[in-house]
Amino acid sequence: MSARTYKPSEQVDFAIVGSGASGGVLARELSQAGFSVVVLEQGPRLGPSDFEHDELKHWFANGITNEPVRNPQTFRADPAAKATRVLDIPALMYARLVGGSSVHYTANFWRFHEIDFHERSVLGAIAGTGFADWPIEYADLEPYYTKVEWEIGVSGLAYASPFDPPRTKPYPMPPMPVKSSGVLLERGGRKLGLHPFPAPLAIASQPFRGRPACVHCGFCEGYGCEVMAKSSTLYNMIPEAEATGRCEVRAESYVFRVDTDKRGRATGVAYFGRDKREHFQHAKAVVLAANGAETARLLLNSANAKSPDGLANSSGYVGKYLMFNAGSATGASFEHELNEYKSVQVTRIIHDFYDADPRRGFYGGGGIDARIDGAPAWWAAINNPPDASWGAAYKQVLRDFPKSLISVGHCTSLPVETNSVTIDPELKDAWGVPAMRATYLDHKDDLATAAFMQDRAVEILDAAGAKKIWRVPIVPQTVGVHLLGTCRMGNDPKSSVVDKYHRTHDVRNLFLCDGGSFVTSGRGQPTMTIQALAFRAADHIAQFARRNEI
Amino acid sequence: MGSTRRSFLTASGQALGAGWLALNWPKISAAAMHAHESAAAPEPRLAILSAAQARDFDAIASQIVPTDDTPGAHEAGAVYFIDAALGGFHAVHREEVLGGHARFLTAFTAKYPGESFAGSPVTRQVEFLKSVETTPFFQTMRFLTVLGLLAHPKYGGNRDGVGWKLVGFEDLHAFQPPFGYYDRDYAGFVPYAKKGQA
Repeated sequence: MSARTYKPSEQVDFAIVGSGASGGVLARELSQAGFSVVVLEQGPRLGPSDFEHDELKHWFANGITNEPVRNPQTFRADPAAKATRVLDIPALMYARLVGGSSVHYTANFWRFHEIDFHERSVLGAIAGTGFADWPIEYADLEPYYTKVEWEIGVSGLAYASPFDPPRTKPYPMPPMPVKSSGVLLERGGRKLGLHPFPAPLAIASQPFRGRPACVHCGFCEGYGCEVMAKSSTLYNMIPEAEATGRCEVRAESYVFRVDTDKRGRATGVAYFGRDKREHFQHAKAVVLAANGAETARLLLNSANAKSPDGLANSSGYVGKYLMFNAGSATGASFEHELNEYKSVQVTRIIHDFYDADPRRGFYGGGGIDARIDGAPAWWAAINNPPDASWGAAYKQVLRDFPKSLISVGHCTSLPVETNSVTIDPELKDAWGVPAMRATYLDHKDDLATAAFMQDRAVEILDAAGAKKIWRVPIVPQTVGVHLLGTCRMGNDPKSSVVDKYHRTHDVRNLFLCDGGSFVTSGRGQPTMTIQALAFRAADHIAQFARRNEI
Repeated sequence: MGSTRRSFLTASGQALGAGWLALNWPKISAAAMHAHESAAAPEPRLAILSAAQARDFDAIASQIVPTDDTPGAHEAGAVYFIDAALGGFHAVHREEVLGGHARFLTAFTAKYPGESFAGSPVTRQVEFLKSVETTPFFQTMRFLTVLGLLAHPKYGGNRDGVGWKLVGFEDLHAFQPPFGYYDRDYAGFVPYAKKGQA
């Protein structure tokens, strides 16, 4: 298929930066609405035959993600300390290719609950944090959650969880077949009076909109899908956008600055092309969907005389309130084989502890699942039982791999102002662009929530009949794959970066839509909400454009 | 046709139906073939480590995952993986690893003058390794040995898939339920009473 292309000198209706979970949706929606669109993606365009079952490449060597040589970062936990360069796994990690992190995600697709949008009003302020309500409610987003399920492609069982928020339609596909980890989580959970239910996943359980069903190869988390069953924007939104004849997805095009004119309006984006040379794409409006780390960095690197602290940053909050989602991991092994390396990662989840409960003495809530978390090398190197880490006893431990699972707790993170994406004062990337500096230390309540979720996991696994249970130590996070909160949404231009339609308060024709728009973190599975926000944003942006209000 | 590819195609055919397979044959075939071809392990050779360093690294790896009635890190060729890693994905830590090895040897020689680590009896090797098991050098050796056992054979370790055999991992492109013991007789999801019901 030869999709439409544009010259950078042609002024298109929309330049969208990023082709991932939100950028792909925005591209498809705006081009289907009749607008001309150029999507600029820093990574390459890969397809199913480029993806492979290679654990070293994907889990240890940054095979399809940003990586520390070309895209260097610095990290510090203490905001007063000098940040040091990250050498192995990026502190702020995302998949760097067309389709973005929707290519390598695990595809757990939980809707937020109603409480997520107004938790601050219910629970009150939390000292030392920017804990706040969203400017929208669940009801505003519900139609778009439904749209994600039916157009992106989500499998699941509607009404299975007594804690689920209201919905207008069931899922378009049945849940994935249960695995042994799911059966055991369900067995243990039900014994304790909890309510395990089939996990909703953005993975096709049966042929869906021209894509095949999952073949249970097991390589979802961290990998690109070889059979196109995972509902990545690479396989749905991007080709559908191109099919309109109005959208060009320009891969290997690395945007490093948004320019504005004398009136303060965005004129387009400066980028390095695959020829390594600088180009400028002209556009009537610019949408940044580059993820919660890169969108913030791009705004900060777009500082000019009029906006010395960064574009769209009159509030001073661009890059702040970074949230990773706290988490816990609890290992268990059983008498018989589970073979968790087969099929999708997760088939049952528990939401009984989703809501925060002030009686616990700390803020937070989350969900619990069961899986193996990576293929054998990650398990053996990182998550293995603590009994032995080398020698004859360790070799015996390794033989337990097929009988083992890891239960993961997915938790809230509080918005802490010092947790942030800023520009490193010294380090530059391979193109000479100032690199990002991550500052992150989990709030004590986030760590308490993770520990609480681990305690519950131990009880559930014990009730399920585990022979051995081990706790992977809960330590402050130094790597985040959920990049949330850095350009938060709000009604007040003094305390937020975008309004409830994702328009920046400062620049009328500049929109931001990705994990950065989040006000609170949800319970650890953000992509579903990122995409619902993107569908909603696209609806409003298209209306503004039609009414000449951009 | 390799067995991996054949079983993948068979399973795919069952799961997807012939129509989809015919439509997507070239892509899937290419992917499976690519994976199969790249499974061929490279010739064992050293690019970074000297022969003496390689003997020590092999000896250390051999105690991290020892050989018993089944192959261990030695048979997996972990030392070739480590050599490749120090010129590849772990190159940024090369000097740190080689420096750590030099200090390791200094400490060993101080304790056992005139002896080489690789040439000393296994009991002595294990005893010495226990005394240094918290050092960054040993931790890195442990990390790289595990990867040399379980990473894809194209990186030089996990020869003939011996690491995967040890942990019971099957390198196939498709599976069908039941996947394990506990999902074999699952009776189906029983719904909970609706809100407001008993």
